[in-house]
Amino acid sequence: MSDNKEYIGFACAYTPLPVIYAAGYTPYRILPMGDSPDRAGHILHDNLCPHIKRILDRAINNDLPDLAGVVFMNSCDAMRRLADAWHHIRPDDNMILLDLPVTADELSVSFFTGEIKKLIDAVSEWGGKKTVTAEIEYGILLYNQISDFMNELTEKIYAGEKNTNISVLQELFNRSVTGSPITFIEDARKLLSENTQGKATNEGVPVFLFGHLLPDPEAFLLFESCGAKIIGDDLCTGSRFFNPVTTDGKKGLVESLAESLLLRPPCARTIDSTIPGKIGNILITKAKKSGARGAIGHVVKFCDPYLSRLPSIREEFQKAGMPLLVLEGDCTLRSIGQQQTRIEAFIEMLSK
Amino acid sequence: MMLQYFKDLESGIAAKIKENPDSPNARKKYALEVTRLGTRLYSGENSVAWCGVTAPFDLLSAMGITSCFVEFIGAMLASTGAIGTFLDHAEHSGYAADICGYHRSVLGSAKQGLMPVPDFLIATSCPCSGGLAVMENLAGIFKKDLFVLHVPQDESEKNVKYLADQIKQMAGFVSAHTGRPIDEAALRRAIENTNMTREIMKEVFELASHVPSPTNGHDLSNFGIVMALLLGTEAAVEISKAYRDEFAARNLELKPGMPGEKYRLMWIQNRIQFKNPLDMLLREQYRANIVVDELNSITWEPIDPDDPYMGLARRAISIPFNGNIRRRVDHLQELALSYKIDGAINPCHRGCRQGAGARGLISEGLKEIGIPVLNLEVDVVDPRDFAEGQLSTRIEAFFEMLDART
Ligand code: SF4
Ligand code: SF4
Repeated sequence: MSDNKEYIGFACAYTPLPVIYAAGYTPYRILPMGDSPDRAGHILHDNLCPHIKRILDRAINNDLPDLAGVVFMNSCDAMRRLADAWHHIRPDDNMILLDLPVTADELSVSFFTGEIKKLIDAVSEWGGKKTVTAEIEYGILLYNQISDFMNELTEKIYAGEKNTNISVLQELFNRSVTGSPITFIEDARKLLSENTQGKATNEGVPVFLFGHLLPDPEAFLLFESCGAKIIGDDLCTGSRFFNPVTTDGKKGLVESLAESLLLRPPCARTIDSTIPGKIGNILITKAKKSGARGAIGHVVKFCDPYLSRLPSIREEFQKAGMPLLVLEGDCTLRSIGQQQTRIEAFIEMLSK
Repeated sequence: MMLQYFKDLESGIAAKIKENPDSPNARKKYALEVTRLGTRLYSGENSVAWCGVTAPFDLLSAMGITSCFVEFIGAMLASTGAIGTFLDHAEHSGYAADICGYHRSVLGSAKQGLMPVPDFLIATSCPCSGGLAVMENLAGIFKKDLFVLHVPQDESEKNVKYLADQIKQMAGFVSAHTGRPIDEAALRRAIENTNMTREIMKEVFELASHVPSPTNGHDLSNFGIVMALLLGTEAAVEISKAYRDEFAARNLELKPGMPGEKYRLMWIQNRIQFKNPLDMLLREQYRANIVVDELNSITWEPIDPDDPYMGLARRAISIPFNGNIRRRVDHLQELALSYKIDGAINPCHRGCRQGAGARGLISEGLKEIGIPVLNLEVDVVDPRDFAEGQLSTRIEAFFEMLDART
């Protein structure tokens, strides 16, 4: 199988990756990692979330592979400002900002279908060739496969059925969104069939992890070194990302893609207007189902969507009697490391 | 507490207007209507909807709903001087101190049971994600139904139609709650009032751009944004007329709003809503007149009374905070040039990602046309850590720079 060589950058879990792939590119998630010096605050403001500031820092410092373009989603104010700032510092880049509805009702799906069509036109233009339906269909198949593999691996690793370290899961995730999907599928297939069967040795306290993003594999080791055993998550750089697209033949392909993306497990920015505050309910349900004794919420500083929902999330955990530790961080291992004592105390409390 | 505040204010202003009916009273008329809105919201006698900033208030008022964006309450709490307790309460309830103060104060007030319970809520995705979050939270606190309007980023016909369809659905949602179908004649009247107000407000802004300006830096503060709440009413037409006549007379009689106007300034986004000495400092020490605020302009076309939904949608999309930064910068440049300003002040409201996050690019954009911008670091509703000394020093340096340019 041949694979796409050129990258297109993206920054949000709602990005329609199959379309990017169909146009002949490899989607590359610009993760807020690396040690680029802190300069984004001058263009934006220091009070913007470190997720987007780090992404911009990577752009300012050329800490990125060559990108044939970038696709941003208008998921929150910070993302919108990131798109503006990106255009300012890299005016010659191909860039598109897709509007992302807040809800997943019929009108929103139809609107988002139009936005994905805009993306199809844009990437076709960037690549100088029309992206056809069969290619999008293939892109969907490929990413559905990645989702299936990742979901299976995640389940097995969390269940301790693979004798492998939890940080491996995060490394795999990072690879699945930054590298060739075909190579990834081959590796994932191998990993699943490899003889890493057997019980994982971690005897830590079962903990559920949630929040926006936590891409550094080392962070998971740190939690474990504090006595935790992560047995489930709701992270946008984790299990929330993988959600296969359902195509039923009745709807058009692009519409199915739009609907699946909007109906994916929501992050805090997405609203179900019929159940305000649903996110808290979703999190506690998942946490309970995972068998965790407590939960750790990792919230990115200055992230309005999450910070504003935290009190109601806390309430849900309180109601359910599940202890919750909230860590406010800046996506770096350092910021979590600074809270090590709190994590240790929390785990100790859970183990009593 | 707020009901009494609004009632006292209302009777005070009404008495002043009565005392001196022939003296210029546009701002008083405006303030009177604002306090009346406050009274209606808090009296418990009306159907109330808490809304996002870009909700169609004229449509809602034609449907018999007293509606208001919640940030208005934040601003009111700030102006009463009592906001600190609400901010404290919100923070103690777990809301981060660095989310927008407008929202924090409203959440604090709702949590304390001091905010009227609405019949329903209407959130709007524009101008900010914080605004969406606060509405979702309030819907949870009040246990009331929520409708969400997703305002797309640009005015393509497809986008306008999408929002128009949502607004139609919203009208159905409102009817379902009130049990009353939409009264087409009332809607027509409201839209006609809106269009009339729009025309007159345009004249007001044009008159305000005169050099020297008939405004005094205070006359039109918060005007553009708050007038959105009164659109569709006869009161809005009357207020605009009062401003127009007052400004026209001042221009004709060569009686500027600020005698000795030396510097003409533009204020970006929101004014500081609590009492503070900076206004006086600008006025008295530097003879600097805030002649225009970012939201004091008409960015939308008249609305067709025969098909109001498309026009209402276009208006919501057109607000300068929507869309990409170039759109906003173009609007600011246009204002800067037509008002012949010397400089701009951007308070960079601390919790506002939408606004403060655009700080650097707004400065760059105004620099393109030679307009310097003073970026302040301030929470425009939270007086608790207002750094007067630091701000005055920054203002002083800004005027030294302007002096050196003349
Ligand atoms: S972390 Fe929060 S504020 Fe930052 S981009 Fe994501 S949703 Fe937006
Ligand atoms: S100040 Fe900013 S965050 Fe606050 S309500 Fe206005 S736009 Fe939203």
